[in-house]
Amino acid sequence: MTLIMVVDDDQDLAEMLGIVLTGDGYQVDLVNRGDEVMSAFAMQNPDLVLLDVMLPGIDGVEVCRLIRTVSMVPIVMLTAKGDTQDVVAGLEAGADDYMVKPFNSSELLARLKVRLRRTGAQTSGGLSIGNIKIDQIAHSIIRDGQNIPLTRLEFDLLVALAKEPGRVFTREALLSEVWGYRPATDTRLVNVHIQRLRSKVERDVENPEIILTVRGVGYKAGVVGSSE
Amino acid sequence: MSSIFSGWRSSLVIRVTGTIVLISILIISFVGTLLYNRISTGIFDEKLHIAIADAQSTARSIELQLQFAKYQDRATVKMVANEILAVPAATDNSPAREVALFAYPNVRSTLISSGTSNLMMDTSIPKNLRLETRKSPSTKWERTRILYVSGRTEEAIAVGHVISVSNFGKYEFYVAYSLSQQTSTVKIIARSLLFAGGILIILIGFVTWVVLRRLIGPVREAARIAEELTAGDLDQRMDVAGTDEVARLGYAFNEMAVALKQQISRLENLSMLQQRFVSDVSHELRTPLTTIRMASQVIYGSKDGFDPATTRSAELLISQIDRFESLLVDLLEVSRFDAQAAVMEVEEIDLVNLVRESIDYVHPSQERLITLATESERLLVDVDKRRIQRILRNLITNAIDHREDAPIEVTIRENETVVAIGVRDYGIGFSSKDRASLFDRFWRADPARARTRGGTGLGLSIAMEDAKLHQGTLEAWGQPRRGAHFVLTLPKFAGGVVDSHPISVVPRGEQLTEREIGDL
Repeated sequence: MTLIMVVDDDQDLAEMLGIVLTGDGYQVDLVNRGDEVMSAFAMQNPDLVLLDVMLPGIDGVEVCRLIRTVSMVPIVMLTAKGDTQDVVAGLEAGADDYMVKPFNSSELLARLKVRLRRTGAQTSGGLSIGNIKIDQIAHSIIRDGQNIPLTRLEFDLLVALAKEPGRVFTREALLSEVWGYRPATDTRLVNVHIQRLRSKVERDVENPEIILTVRGVGYKAGVVGSSE
Repeated sequence: MSSIFSGWRSSLVIRVTGTIVLISILIISFVGTLLYNRISTGIFDEKLHIAIADAQSTARSIELQLQFAKYQDRATVKMVANEILAVPAATDNSPAREVALFAYPNVRSTLISSGTSNLMMDTSIPKNLRLETRKSPSTKWERTRILYVSGRTEEAIAVGHVISVSNFGKYEFYVAYSLSQQTSTVKIIARSLLFAGGILIILIGFVTWVVLRRLIGPVREAARIAEELTAGDLDQRMDVAGTDEVARLGYAFNEMAVALKQQISRLENLSMLQQRFVSDVSHELRTPLTTIRMASQVIYGSKDGFDPATTRSAELLISQIDRFESLLVDLLEVSRFDAQAAVMEVEEIDLVNLVRESIDYVHPSQERLITLATESERLLVDVDKRRIQRILRNLITNAIDHREDAPIEVTIRENETVVAIGVRDYGIGFSSKDRASLFDRFWRADPARARTRGGTGLGLSIAMEDAKLHQGTLEAWGQPRRGAHFVLTLPKFAGGVVDSHPISVVPRGEQLTEREIGDL
């Protein structure tokens, strides 16, 4: 059974989230304080973390950073502020997605489903982007013989680009492909994650070879061997 | 020259000093001229008295000598007559004193010969003086110039007298006294007067300038500091020393600055508190709203077992939560603008595509209700996509709400620097009185009517703020029952300005009346 850890200091909202998630067949673990998250995380080892930004103890952005040091588990932030700085801070700390309060239960469930889905091994083995080899079965990428750890979302993003090498993806297309949104406006999500992904896979972030920007449109995969 | 004129207009010191110097020049030249005239007249008169006395005594003595000589021989007479004209020539110490003797026309004797001393020309004695002298026996004088045969001339007074010697007849006797000494004295005096006057004027000008500068200095300082206060530097103060009037100006000025600063910071605090409050309230409301919304969805999800009234209540609950939320979102956005905390996220996007998306979003059906006229199929601009999309959706939604079954026209036009989007409907429109408050918060043209259509009443005011944030303009035109026209004009590139309007807010064929051009 899938275990979701809900971290929120608002008792009523936490309870409501518990009702909705349990109703959809998830197992739920409620945590009220930011400084209690890490011990609970170690004990429970949840499949997904639903994390409020404003928490007593340690704030949500910091908790997110702490979780990322030990796990690549999907993290979805809950925020009362749709403001740029808040959202970007959370995403840069390693959150995969975020929900701005107030949200619909159906919307929340849809997002969680996307984050929890296993990227199926439609094509076996040899998918590559630039000079990086993607092993979809082993769920890992290899650059210059070295294994680079990615979060599931980052892996999905890279696979989405690599599967159709010639295609230029608009930010909206990537949103619906990777995050499961229908065409929406929030392209910050894409921008921040592309930056995070680049910092992991590119040799020179200022001069990307694997994930190329197409001005005014979006992104596309670098050509194999283009760096040689 | 022009810099003097501009200095004259802008500087009190230059103006006052200039005026005082001009007045001094007038007074001093008047007094100087008066003084000069009095002195030169005095000097001349003195010389004239001496000259007349001398001429009279000389004439008397000649008369006596001739009277006496006529009783002796002819040679003596001739000698005496010759001695009359034997006058010593002028030297550096003694000025010229020339003598002329003319026999009356009826005199036959040649014993006493007419003539002049020292080769003075006859014309040195003015004709008028000679006529006057001949007419009456009294002494006559006139100013003249001594003319020598050599061509030399000299300022002089000529004094005329008649000498009559019995047996010989009458003679005109003239003495011309050079005025060279007097002329040079007068010249020296004139030069001294001019010099003293000049020095005096310079001194007056300088003193005025120094005094004025001392007086004006603090005023200038006050003006400079007032300018800096205006520019926002509220910590500027004047340096004050002493207790005189100037120091009082300084004290008063500084007190004013302190009061101003207190007042401004009080107001700033107030508005900051108020903005913080709005922002906090909006945020604090979100968490319970989330719980309410999720709970309402759970309730709505099990509506199958409800009676119709409860089902309808659940539906209303959900729709009102949506409305509550959009109000909250708009309020938060407004509070962000008020706090000047709105941040632009500029990216390069295709505006034509964005307009198409916005039309599809607001009116997804295939029915050709909205027509789009654009010159190009792709138009890259640097904008905050979310904000521009919000403006477009708002304008198109408004047009649909007020269209009255007439079609809506959306136009895109560009030039080198700006791009404009016009949204035109032919619906109920609005009066020019309404135009003024169109962009006000919570303003509704017809409260009863608009409320049923929903909307927060903040849409256009947010759209205006979004346009301003882009350095763009949002203009509105409307006529009752002729429809409305909204035009958003944006600089194509970040940092640009709107220097032209590719789409005129007044539609073609419509009259321009006052107050219809939206001004920002």
